[in-house]
Amino acid sequence: MSVELLDDLEAGELSVAFEGEEPDALLEWALERFSPRIAISTAFQADGAVLLHMAYAIDPDVKLFSVDTGRLPQETFELVEQMRERYPRLNLDLLSPDAETVRTMVRRHGPNLFYRSVENRLLCCQVRKVLPLQRYLGGLDAWITGLRRDQWATRSDIRKVEIDHDHGAIVKLNPLAEWTEDEVWDYVREHDLPVNPLYAKGFTSIGCAPCTRPTGAGENLRAGRWWWEQGAPKECGIHCAIETGGLEHELRALVGDDR
Amino acid sequence: MTKPTLELVLKRNSVERLKREKSPLGMLDELPALIAAGYEEVPEEDIVRLKWWGLYHDKPKVGTFMLRVKIPGGILQPEQLRAIGELSLLYGRGEAELTTRQNVQLHYIELKALPEVFERLHAAGLTSAGACGDTVRNITGCPVAGLAQGELFDARPVVEEAARFFYGNPDYSDLPRKHKIAITACADACAAPEINCIALVGALHDGEEGFGVLVGGGLSSVPRIARELGVWVPKGQAVEVLAAILDEWREDLRYRVSRVKARLKFMIDDIGPEGMRARVEARLGRRFDDFSLPPLPRPSNHLGVHDGWVGVPVHLGLISGDQLVALAELGHEARITRQQNLVLVGDVDVDALGRIGLPVDAGALRGDAIACTGEPHCNFSVTETKTRMGALVQLLESRFDARQLEGLRLHLDGCPHACAQHWVGDIGFQGTTVRDQQGRRQQAYDVYLRGGLDRPAQIARPLFRRVPSEELDGLVVALVGGWARGRKEEESFRVWCERTSDGELAQLAGREIRVGRAA
Repeated sequence: MSVELLDDLEAGELSVAFEGEEPDALLEWALERFSPRIAISTAFQADGAVLLHMAYAIDPDVKLFSVDTGRLPQETFELVEQMRERYPRLNLDLLSPDAETVRTMVRRHGPNLFYRSVENRLLCCQVRKVLPLQRYLGGLDAWITGLRRDQWATRSDIRKVEIDHDHGAIVKLNPLAEWTEDEVWDYVREHDLPVNPLYAKGFTSIGCAPCTRPTGAGENLRAGRWWWEQGAPKECGIHCAIETGGLEHELRALVGDDR
Repeated sequence: MTKPTLELVLKRNSVERLKREKSPLGMLDELPALIAAGYEEVPEEDIVRLKWWGLYHDKPKVGTFMLRVKIPGGILQPEQLRAIGELSLLYGRGEAELTTRQNVQLHYIELKALPEVFERLHAAGLTSAGACGDTVRNITGCPVAGLAQGELFDARPVVEEAARFFYGNPDYSDLPRKHKIAITACADACAAPEINCIALVGALHDGEEGFGVLVGGGLSSVPRIARELGVWVPKGQAVEVLAAILDEWREDLRYRVSRVKARLKFMIDDIGPEGMRARVEARLGRRFDDFSLPPLPRPSNHLGVHDGWVGVPVHLGLISGDQLVALAELGHEARITRQQNLVLVGDVDVDALGRIGLPVDAGALRGDAIACTGEPHCNFSVTETKTRMGALVQLLESRFDARQLEGLRLHLDGCPHACAQHWVGDIGFQGTTVRDQQGRRQQAYDVYLRGGLDRPAQIARPLFRRVPSEELDGLVVALVGGWARGRKEEESFRVWCERTSDGELAQLAGREIRVGRAA
């Protein structure tokens, strides 16, 4: 048996149709159409909290997933516990990297390889984050991300509905595409959503513990993540989220293919 | 739809903010400062602004750029061919590529080389102003304008006038998004007017030379075939009308809130060609005569040896710096074609072309095959493009004789942006990926059929999806074989596909139509 999925022509028209619509409208349509083979990707940042809150109201069994890279800060796990209290039916998958692949990488390059070169950092991202994500997406027909256009100029034309050709041509939905940072935080406050305690400690970007740090007032956002790097891919920088696919393109160019 | 405020536009659209903070056209003057500070220090917003000078990051995004040289109507004089060839040899690792909008692209150019590159480019009378970004992109035309026997009139002066007016013009360099114009008066309207934002299609009306107008075409992720504006535009009013349509669009803030709905085609979706006509007439304060274009013949590729010119296939649009310089030595004016080939003007020594590695008799299949930039340069592509197309062409050439393949147009893209126009190939391919049994990433293609630029132009549908690259050869041979055996007389591939049922196509291909994944 097989399922007919959206093609690019349909996705293109839907992306235009959902322009100007509220995020819940897209979530409702998507959960109806793709459940149970659909999940929300979260990096435990504020956008992820908004998506979960909206989707949970539509379907409390909605799947949420993230990658536990093995190097996440303690605060992120504190947030997970808060989420479990707030959403009793929380359906969260914390994905782990492949133990054997991590062991090989650490034997060869050491645990803190990322400080030594851009290639090493990308390799670590690949092993601990990208490969588990790719494996998980292989079991889905659609995934939901918190990508927003205002995160970076090269994301200015993110579509709300697209075919994800980086990941087996499943459907990728970006319900918050039109929202600004301020709108995300307004929603968080209005609904009193649990957020990562790291925000209160001056972090502007939440990631792995060794690769993120708080930024001071007036400091470039880039100072918050991979601040030591020279010669790293541009137009990616701090916001090169795993969800864009861009990270994987750079990875393949700089580190090599995973096949 | 209520009119949005500028405040809303700036809140929702970071590129509108970026353009207002600092004009991207001013970036050329800032190059010395950027170079002095070093590539690492270049703000990412400035990297975006550099697009307005035809610069895109190569892949990976670590310091080298693609430069798109904008060539109105694709027309190059020998000294300009030489200049581009030398730029390629000096700064671009000896490579260059011809594009479907009659541009030339170079790669591997370093930030520190840019001032010299621009100096040489401008000295040769060439520009890249507005080659990328929210501008009027290269204005395309018929590559045998002024040469062809049956053309209605020579449209080159109109192309030149439009390019002079729009290129680098600040008023038209802050458009809601990119904008594509084609101007052609060749007998078969070869410039693909149906897939341009605005196309002026040459015609005669009461013995007068002028244009019928198509508006709202475009491919990318949401394809549209352009529709007739329904007016007659005398030749002398062409640029005025182009500007009036652009003004209606660029001044309407509804098309600046979201870049997803910013192209002119979405305005035509909203108000229709009749709505646009009414606005243009109101703006210009006069009525235009009603006019509909007569039926057009199928667009030609202008290849082969003709009286006054030679059209030579440039396989995959790839040409080296050495070849460009060698062509310049031959001393002919050159024209880049929409199919990424070259027309050379005059009495051309065909043997000399062969010695440069550009044989005239390379075959129509080679000449008509189009593939996008893709791997290894482009940041969007998910598959091989030009190399995969090269392999497909070789395969078909080995399985069928040239006569059978005549007129078959293969278009291959590595992503949905459709630079190689996969929506309108006889067989269109769009790169995607699948996982194999071991969960490893595999390159694959969606295969688009029943579309094309033969009249009436039509958008194809992805009939076969996620075909692993390894299985693509078999599928293409089966389809082309089915056509070669089953076609009636000179029936085109598209017509054959249209009258062949889904079931028959599926049986030929040995795979199901439009199927997703196993559940």
